[in-house]
Amino acid sequence: MPSHDEERRSSGASGRRLSRRSLLQGAATAGAAGLAVTALGAANPALAATDRSSAPALDPAKTPAGPIVVHVRDAKSGDIAVLSGTSETRLRDKDLAARIVRAIG
Amino acid sequence: MSSHREAPEISKDPVADSTDLYAFVSPDKSNTVTIIANYIPLQLPSGGPNFYEFGDDVLYQIHIDNNGDGRADISYRFRFTTTVRDGDTFLYNTGPITSLGDTTWNRFQTYDLEVVSGGSATVLGTGLPCPPCNIGPLSTPDYAGLAAQAIASVGGVTVFAGQRAEAFYVDLGSIFDLANLRPLAAAHAPIGSLSSGNGVNATNNFNVNSIAIQVPISAVTISGHPVIGVWTTASRQKARIFDADSGDYVNAGPWEQVSRLGNPLVNEVLIGMGDKDRWNALPPHDDKEFLHYVTQPGLAGLLNVLYPGAFPNLAAAVTAGTARADLEAIFLTGIPAGVVNKTYTTFTGTVLADMLRLNTSVAPAGSPSILGILGGDVAGYPNGRRPGDDVVTIELQALAGATLPLVDPTYKVDGVVKSVTDFKPDPPAIGSPPTGSFPYLGTPYSGYNEPS
Repeated sequence: MPSHDEERRSSGASGRRLSRRSLLQGAATAGAAGLAVTALGAANPALAATDRSSAPALDPAKTPAGPIVVHVRDAKSGDIAVLSGTSETRLRDKDLAARIVRAIG
Repeated sequence: MSSHREAPEISKDPVADSTDLYAFVSPDKSNTVTIIANYIPLQLPSGGPNFYEFGDDVLYQIHIDNNGDGRADISYRFRFTTTVRDGDTFLYNTGPITSLGDTTWNRFQTYDLEVVSGGSATVLGTGLPCPPCNIGPLSTPDYAGLAAQAIASVGGVTVFAGQRAEAFYVDLGSIFDLANLRPLAAAHAPIGSLSSGNGVNATNNFNVNSIAIQVPISAVTISGHPVIGVWTTASRQKARIFDADSGDYVNAGPWEQVSRLGNPLVNEVLIGMGDKDRWNALPPHDDKEFLHYVTQPGLAGLLNVLYPGAFPNLAAAVTAGTARADLEAIFLTGIPAGVVNKTYTTFTGTVLADMLRLNTSVAPAGSPSILGILGGDVAGYPNGRRPGDDVVTIELQALAGATLPLVDPTYKVDGVVKSVTDFKPDPPAIGSPPTGSFPYLGTPYSGYNEPS
């Protein structure tokens, strides 16, 4: 019988791809955006407003109902984890990490 | 303690802190195995008004390895949901609770149970009821009856989740006071003026929260492999954020293991402080990296320092750097056939993994010995673990060299080893001892009566 306790590890690095644009758009428009993303918008209204103006409408059916938490693991390398539901999506995006750092600075 | 508050991080998270794990062939239903995983240590029975409950945000699991690779082949998963009937009262209950559906019970829990096997999950039950905590004679006048109502049979599994009496016994005060075992206190070095005496059961009159399952042996074993390895884990989601608007926490991300328990006392007594939290986060099949803690246990070297001259043979073995293959077998591989006798075995294979191993082909003992294999009882620890087994004495004596002759027949056990125990001459006081039927742990102590 195959074992299944590798599940914990495999879930930690989802193959799902998330773009910087979709992340920021989601943060700006989703009603239940996570702490990090919400803080970004609050700290830098100009950034949030810019993204809102250029954001296409989200499909409500594909918008997570719960919080979305963004964890910038390493700003220099752009290592970012996006947590939603019971999934984790890993990004490597130096530009996005830099924007987040500037937003909180 | 067995695994109560055994590591720095989990000691701050009692809801997810596994305290004891039991696995045994059910004495009253010998074609089944009973597994009990306890959580939330040292519950003061009167600890209201917010009495003890499982974490809605914790994933509790009982895992079974049935082919010896140290990986879970079957996992039972428990998720709890708390419901508040009336948010305007501070009370746990507004009148007597005489049935699990009573509306006088203001804050109650239910749970969902699924089993994961062969890569797929099957829901066994949803909305299964937990009993309330044992409040007192006015609030829970027939507690035993209430608890019995919470025993469910779903998908071939008998299951219970709720408060029970602590069955583990230990003299915490003496052990953590530089292993100053009261029966041996007069021989203790630094403060040898203490007189010897019987131990104090520090966990008596406390409660725990138990998750108990009883499953057919045929459902958890595979042909030709009667020995199973069992462990329990608790996991939390990766991110936890306090939301001041609601005063509650929100969670996101995959489940991450924060607590693990197989054999009693392994993380607590063997694993070094710097590795305890990491050990809790890893699966058993990664335990090879902790092998040195098992084969060169620090406590074995300390005994002859704390009790100078009392353990000369053990001291010589420690000085010689003897790798404790006996402890490696007990904790990490199981004991192969031919070591204790021709037929006794808990061996699962060469994979080093801390699991509580149970040979399901061994019938329950008619007259159990709390010393398990040291007492000649092949149905007791380390062949599984029953609620009454004196695992502290068994493991202390093993660490002190009692089991070393199993792998080195020339080794002579120090004479004092048979006196290494925290309870002598009297057995420990247990106000609500284990019972003979599911879920086997005693009725929890009531808040009205304890502390008395």
